Amino acid sequence: MTTLKLDEDELRSRRSFCELTDQDLARLQSLRGFAEKHTAEIVSSFYDLLLSHDQTRKFFPDDATVRRVKRAQSEYFLGLFEGRCDIGYVEDRLRVGAAHERIGLAPKWYLAAYRKYLELLRDKLSASLPPAEAVAAFSSVQKIVFFDVTLAIDTYIAANIETLQRHQAALRELSTPVIRVHDRILLLPLVGAIDSVRAQQIMETVLVRVVEEKAKCMIVDIAGVPVVDTKVADNLVKTTAAVRLLGTQTILTGISAQVARTIVQLGVDISTMHTRSRLQDGIDLALELVGKAITEKRA
Amino acid sequence: MRGTIPILRLGDVLITTVHVELRDAVAEAFQADILDAIEKGHARGLVIDISGLDMVDTYVARILAETGRMAHLMGTDTVLCGMRAEVAATLVRMGYPMDGVRAALDLDEGLALLHELRREKK
Repeated sequence: MTTLKLDEDELRSRRSFCELTDQDLARLQSLRGFAEKHTAEIVSSFYDLLLSHDQTRKFFPDDATVRRVKRAQSEYFLGLFEGRCDIGYVEDRLRVGAAHERIGLAPKWYLAAYRKYLELLRDKLSASLPPAEAVAAFSSVQKIVFFDVTLAIDTYIAANIETLQRHQAALRELSTPVIRVHDRILLLPLVGAIDSVRAQQIMETVLVRVVEEKAKCMIVDIAGVPVVDTKVADNLVKTTAAVRLLGTQTILTGISAQVARTIVQLGVDISTMHTRSRLQDGIDLALELVGKAITEKRA
Repeated sequence: MRGTIPILRLGDVLITTVHVELRDAVAEAFQADILDAIEKGHARGLVIDISGLDMVDTYVARILAETGRMAHLMGTDTVLCGMRAEVAATLVRMGYPMDGVRAALDLDEGLALLHELRREKK
């Protein structure tokens, strides 16, 4: 609800775009008797479809569940004919969307099932009303149904965005490990995509650690970065420039053939960094820069 | 304004700590003092310590870089040391990464770097 920012203004604007007028609501209310008469039959046919399909049947594991959802569905169905479309109504509809998201019912099933609903309603309406009235009534039903659908889809999207944000926050905390490989040599293994927020954070963490460890060398391993584009390269160049001002050299390792090709083709200048293909070579170079070396043990 | 920022001589190395903002007259006097000192007795190296500055804008950064280039023309290597991490981040973000300036973490490192540079030349 808060993510969607649904207030009176938004509600009005959505209603007017669906052309859902007070007249439509009045017409729906006048159909309440009709709806009550056919609820059981329509809901039952609706679930026949859902239960006949393997992938939707698994949402209703036992008879008790089916009875419960049928009851909820009847309430939902009658809700369409209450002649009411206010914040209370919207909240009610959002709860339905949230429940679908929670049990993992994908929008494809939800949307396709709604087609069945409309078909059942259309058939019932044309069977029990004179043609002109049936057309008008169906049009009103269509409006409120589409109004509901937009809300449900927005709920799905909002729930997805919230999940993504939670994951991003969790990842951010894990995303900048700076490891001390040897005296005055730090290693930053980068894994995953680097966006501008993360790049910023990388720079800050790295600078703090460089000062703490009095680093002379900073190895950045990008073997785990899937795509190195101009932005990522630019961020690496910036981090290099910043640590250089503290007297630290940067060695970029884990450069695959693909990445090397991209960097050259994009025309990115990374001449401020030493570059090596393998991390091992990067460590050798770092040791050399601090005046050390790994040698074979004599037998 | 001359002499606001003291310049020490240690062997053939000049050491100076910038502790006041390098503004207009002070900046000019600072450069003049350094160049005079180099001229007077030949100095192989110059270490400028800026650990006392918690803010360095592009103007000050340019003055420092310029001083290094001037000293270089007179045959003196310059090392900038003691820059704070947040200052480095800010300069880079402002698009002024002080290209061409040699930098070190602190005075110790700065002197070591000068030594290294000299060895490379030989």
